[in-house]
Amino acid sequence: MGKNQSLSFQKGDFLAIILVVALALMVALLFLPGSGSKQGTMVQIYQNGVLTEELPLSQDRKMELSGAYHCTVTVKDGKVAITDSDCPGEDCVHTGWIQSPGRSIVCIPNRVEVRVTGGSDVDFVVG
Amino acid sequence: MKQTKKLALCAVLIALALALSCTERLIPLQLFIPLPGVKLGLANVVSLVSLYLLGWKPTFAIVVLRCILGAMFGGGVTGFLFSLTGGLLAMGTMCLSKAVALFSIYGVSILGAAAHHVGQIMVAMLVMHSGYVLAYLPYLLLVALFTGFATGALSGGILRALPTQPAVSISTEK
Repeated sequence: MGKNQSLSFQKGDFLAIILVVALALMVALLFLPGSGSKQGTMVQIYQNGVLTEELPLSQDRKMELSGAYHCTVTVKDGKVAITDSDCPGEDCVHTGWIQSPGRSIVCIPNRVEVRVTGGSDVDFVVG
Repeated sequence: MKQTKKLALCAVLIALALALSCTERLIPLQLFIPLPGVKLGLANVVSLVSLYLLGWKPTFAIVVLRCILGAMFGGGVTGFLFSLTGGLLAMGTMCLSKAVALFSIYGVSILGAAAHHVGQIMVAMLVMHSGYVLAYLPYLLLVALFTGFATGALSGGILRALPTQPAVSISTEK
């Protein structure tokens, strides 16, 4: 039944790779308008899916958020980042600084999302 | 007798999957790829081996039980949702792609890893009430190419190393 054959890399597997890359490109295209080098104007902070705070990107500021965990949102030089967090993994901190509309920083353990808006805003909200 | 062997083998595989998914948290893959949800998918090696060895029904049970036990061992409710959706979607995709004779275990594994991330992003979109999380998916899918390839190679190696007429080959006999 060609059991050994099904255990080694085949030509058909390139199709699997192409499929995955195609899906990645399709999703990436959805977000292309927002991922340019444009400068956003506002920062929205969502906690548990609810908009709790809206700050201008032009104004330097530091903000503490408390939820399941503590994190610090910093706005500086027209960019925003989560600069400190005690959540496990700290993916939000590793995301770094963002400034383009449509980009966002997500902290799933803390249910926090920091979103840059403004300019030609792409609207894509679910739920 | 055969049923007993099958039962014991499934139990061993569930324990192995659970141990691997716990061990996996210790590997700091996120240091190199700072994306939420990036992992090697070692538990998926067990799903793959079991899928090729036992078929889809026991594999389905193994995936579900691994997720339930994983939640008890510190994943929590959110972790359970993530791993169950990801796990089931990955398993479904791997079953289908295995049925298509086109793919070897590498293709099956890569598609499974990709499906796992799609599932995770779906849950993340629900949890965060936001579609923006979807922006992570392209990066996760590219990572899945490599993790999927690695787990495929690992599973292939394991299946090759198993004896051709193993004590555990129960699927064909009555």
